[in-house]
Amino acid sequence: MDALFGLVSDHTVRTVLLGSTIVGFVSGALGSFAYLRRQSLMGDVVSHAALLGIAAAFIVASLVVGSGHHTLVLLLGAALAGVASILFANLVVRHSRITMDGAMAVALALFFGGGLTLMRVIQTGPFTQRSGLNAYIFGRAAAITRADLLVIALFAAVALVFLLLNWRVFKLYSFDAVLSELVGYRARLVEPLLQVTIVLAVVIGLKVVGLILMVAFVVAPASAARQWTRSLEGMVVLAGAFGALAAVVGTLLSVVAGDVPTGPVIVLVLTAIVAVSLLFAPRRGLVARGLRRRAQRRGSRASSEGLPA
Amino acid sequence: MSFVVGVAALALVTALACALPGVFLLLRRDAMTVEAVSHAVLPGIVVGLIVAGSLDSPILILAAALTGLLVVLGAEYLQGTGLLEGDAPLGLVFPALFSIGIILVSQRFSNVHLDEHVVLVGDLNLAAFIHLEVAGVSLGPRYLYVMLAVLLLNVGFIARFYKELKITTFDPTLAELLGFRVRRLHYAFMFLVSVTITAAFYAAGSILTVALMIVPAATAHLVTKRLSHMLAWTVVIAAVGALAGFGVAYALDAATSGAMALMLGLVFSAVFGFQRAQALWQTRGRRREGRADAPVIAPAHDVAREVGTANAVNATEPASHAAR
Repeated sequence: MDALFGLVSDHTVRTVLLGSTIVGFVSGALGSFAYLRRQSLMGDVVSHAALLGIAAAFIVASLVVGSGHHTLVLLLGAALAGVASILFANLVVRHSRITMDGAMAVALALFFGGGLTLMRVIQTGPFTQRSGLNAYIFGRAAAITRADLLVIALFAAVALVFLLLNWRVFKLYSFDAVLSELVGYRARLVEPLLQVTIVLAVVIGLKVVGLILMVAFVVAPASAARQWTRSLEGMVVLAGAFGALAAVVGTLLSVVAGDVPTGPVIVLVLTAIVAVSLLFAPRRGLVARGLRRRAQRRGSRASSEGLPA
Repeated sequence: MSFVVGVAALALVTALACALPGVFLLLRRDAMTVEAVSHAVLPGIVVGLIVAGSLDSPILILAAALTGLLVVLGAEYLQGTGLLEGDAPLGLVFPALFSIGIILVSQRFSNVHLDEHVVLVGDLNLAAFIHLEVAGVSLGPRYLYVMLAVLLLNVGFIARFYKELKITTFDPTLAELLGFRVRRLHYAFMFLVSVTITAAFYAAGSILTVALMIVPAATAHLVTKRLSHMLAWTVVIAAVGALAGFGVAYALDAATSGAMALMLGLVFSAVFGFQRAQALWQTRGRRREGRADAPVIAPAHDVAREVGTANAVNATEPASHAAR
């Protein structure tokens, strides 16, 4: 306990913890909307596509400014690539006989393959400060600096303001797209807004969790929160809380353990939260359901015994 | 066989072995299941490497492939509980398995020559390192023959069960009524996919197999609707993409799998772009008549309508857990 306390009072660790808390909360909360749209795996496509954006932004910034490693620039590139991958997948679905899952796989392949190839170009080219880029792939929470923290906070603020401004629209659209259209919110306008929100949720966590596992942050907190609540407000807040909890616990565990990458540890904590929720949530939970079935069976047996043959 | 030719041959055979089952995976809407399986086999592979030290043994590949089946069964179980929406079950299972794999990799067991970079893109050069020699003549990389065996296994399976795969893909309900063992075939096929992904690990890592499996089939699907034609086109596109990717990778000294994914993606984009341009050109003539294909309403009609009463998904449709 003392060791833990010492850890938390350490300046670097505090930065790291603050960063992963913000990331966990925002990604978890916004992931709810991807979950409700039943397209959680779009988060996977967006996070993989982000590599192309990061690599491209690094190269462009290196050529223009002379140094490529600005977190803000990299994350803006990641966000643009994420939006582009969603647009690509939607375009393919609209104009061919390929279904959404196939289009998502193609988008992932194109953008991630491109990203990996550009990363190789960066490695062999005359670029400076390229060593930190790999942190975005598997996540390295320990490498979060104050500058990163500022960028994360900025993205978080933008995402949350975005969410609050569009709350009513998002809510209506998530639950009944047809009604939402009838009331006058054009799907063509709402859809991109919602997708930008999801992209922000993914991009913000890349450095902490890594792009390969970022999908877990979109899916898991929302899946867990859904078991405990029936309202959207409750779900978003609870998902944020679960995300933040997992991020903090995971980060601490990985810092204590030493050379374990942060992303996987956080994902395992998230998985545990989901498992507990699926099992023990009141009413919906598997345990509650099992007990109820048992009681019903017993009840029906008792009543059938009471009946004349 | 020289080293470069050996690597190119390995890339080509890997791409073909992956692309063939991809046709059915795409049509069954299981494209993102491939993404999940390719991540989920990682812990199996790492444990296998810790135990045996190399991936050459067929038994090892089969055992490691079982973890890939875990994600299929796990997602189906979670979907069966009716507690989760859309493709969330898949998105919950594979990150967990992949995380276990990555944590194992990060512990750097002394006899496992594996790091995060290999997980990411594979290591074709490493796989092609040990050559098979008979009477002093090099017959190419030894791993090439493992991959060839997997390719033959895929060809054999598809040839033997062509009719069954076809009917269960296009009309699972009818197949069930006609007495085909839909679920058994589904699991056998997914296990084969998992075996293929595991075997392709050296050549493609565990992230990019989805590119090798799905993109050639998707490109072929742009061109044709007929299953037999699709298979033929898939083979051609996979071969072109693999060799072009190998060329790019060779020129840049980059990872072959990344370049193959990029080239396959570009081939898809080129075909798609060409078709779009053609369609736009044709509709320009009759624009005054009004567009027939204008979208009516949002593509996301049934978004979470059942949040309150999440329902179990039709069990006769194995392909139903893909995103629509």
